[in-house]
Amino acid sequence: MRTPVLIFKELMHSRLNSALSLLGVAVAVTLWVFFFTAGEASRRETTRLTRNMGLNLRIVHRQTDLDTFWVTGFSDQTMPEEYVRRLAAQTGLNYAHLLPTLRQRIRWRDRDAILVGILPEVSPVDRRESSMSLAVPRGTVCLGYQMALAPKLGKGDTIELLGKSFVVGSCLPESGSDQDVSIFGHLHDVQDLLGMPGRINEIRALNCVCFDSDRDALDVLREQLARVLPEAQVVQIRSIAEAREKQRRMVEDYLAIVLPFVLVTCAMWVGLLMMINVRQRRSEIGILRALGHGSGTIASLFLGKAAAVGVAGAVVGFGLGTGLALIYGPGVFKTTGNMIQPMYEWLGWSVVAAVAFSAVAAAIPTAFAVTQDPAVALRDD
Amino acid sequence: MVHLEDVSKVFHTRRRELKVLDAVRLEVKPGEFVVVRGPSGSGKTTLLLVLGGMLRPTDGRVVVNGCDVYALSARERAGFRAENIGFVFQMFHLVSYLTVLENVLLAAATAGRRASRTEARALLQHLRLADREHHKPSELSVGERQRTAMARALLNRPPLILADEPTGNLDPDNAAEAINVLNVFHRDGGTVILVTHGTAADRYADRVLHLQGGHIEQSPGGPSRP
Repeated sequence: MRTPVLIFKELMHSRLNSALSLLGVAVAVTLWVFFFTAGEASRRETTRLTRNMGLNLRIVHRQTDLDTFWVTGFSDQTMPEEYVRRLAAQTGLNYAHLLPTLRQRIRWRDRDAILVGILPEVSPVDRRESSMSLAVPRGTVCLGYQMALAPKLGKGDTIELLGKSFVVGSCLPESGSDQDVSIFGHLHDVQDLLGMPGRINEIRALNCVCFDSDRDALDVLREQLARVLPEAQVVQIRSIAEAREKQRRMVEDYLAIVLPFVLVTCAMWVGLLMMINVRQRRSEIGILRALGHGSGTIASLFLGKAAAVGVAGAVVGFGLGTGLALIYGPGVFKTTGNMIQPMYEWLGWSVVAAVAFSAVAAAIPTAFAVTQDPAVALRDD
Repeated sequence: MVHLEDVSKVFHTRRRELKVLDAVRLEVKPGEFVVVRGPSGSGKTTLLLVLGGMLRPTDGRVVVNGCDVYALSARERAGFRAENIGFVFQMFHLVSYLTVLENVLLAAATAGRRASRTEARALLQHLRLADREHHKPSELSVGERQRTAMARALLNRPPLILADEPTGNLDPDNAAEAINVLNVFHRDGGTVILVTHGTAADRYADRVLHLQGGHIEQSPGGPSRP
């Protein structure tokens, strides 16, 4: 009789023990898969929500007076436009969606306005990103909500700005921010209008979670910037960043507490059932010894059973965990819930982890079986 | 076939030491049928397990078929056991989730000479279990269970059978049949050592020995068979 056949027949025979062991492994894998699928969804949701809130990093010249910066809303110091290319050429940075801008206060039609020159976003070389910001073609402008009122302006109208004519490419909806009093143009057009060719006074960016660490995000950002652009400094719009960070950390902290607890409980459950199984099979172990089977055969009977339970538990657990995430995910993650998909690459890992998990849980019972004195079992029974 | 030289076995419990075998000397020739009789708790099973390489004695030497059993490693001893010794127990020790045929074939995997399914079936036929080969132990009568255990012990054609109260759970008819199986094995040249507290096997024995107080003595009745 081959060992796998013995294992299969024993599994079929001790259905209750096998089913309860499988349940233990399946519960562990279910929660594992559910938490990681949910964790991935949470990360995606947080990223999307933060992205929707806007770029939260502002990189300005090191000599910028931050008092004035916060009062006026922009830096009085300019820096070369080339800085954005230099930053984008680096890998492993926590900066994403780099947006070079030149902002100045102007008078337009007897009103104060903010003229903003922007280029299309630049992505760091190690990342492909879809643009978060509007792109303004040369010769056109995009008007903030307030700027497009009185007189009413719309797409296709022509306006004069600092002595040059531009076509209104679009008008933005009301935002409740300084965007409403802004006029957005192509960076190079704005540089020409302001007589600042090749200059910008800010790079806007998004703090990404791609290269994360446990350290304070702003410390990491400052350290990275000092390495690449020592002439610049970064400020972070903390309210946005903190909300984002808090959400993400909350999920991770929750996982860190719940998962080990569940895994240990399930391991103890499987180990206990395996120990009961060993106790019930003392006579079998004794007779196998009497028939000349060695420790290897005895150990493989129990570890093999644990592995079989692990494989089955992984498949069942993966199905249940994925199912739970697919059913409940969209209700929890309103924005990105429809992006939750079965993470099939986790199936292989689930099987490997579940087999290892079962084997660890069965290690003590197996050692007990191998070291059990067959003479005692045969004499007592 | 079997040579025991001053074999002692002491069990240590929390409160005391229990000397079950005390400098036992025993010589069993090839082809002998030896009955070792003794009351419950006299150490009969311990003697059998020591003889079978399953329980290391505290002192002494056990030689079976020319081999010093406890000089072998655990792995070698397991292989030696598979090829040289067949065990029959009072409680049968059948594996509950295997069929009769599978239980018999459990012995096949370990012996150097691999017994075939055909041989196992022939043995079951001989022991009137042919129609039971696909039954589980729980579906058998006690007599059938013991015959299954005997088939398992005989499958590898070992030169020595060690039987521990093989009739202890059987009614007289099944007990007689079990003893008869051992007798046939003995007649075919096999060596049998049977421990029991009963007398059912005496008439087949070449010698009846008595185990008491950790010592083996020739039974007062002497060999019961000429």
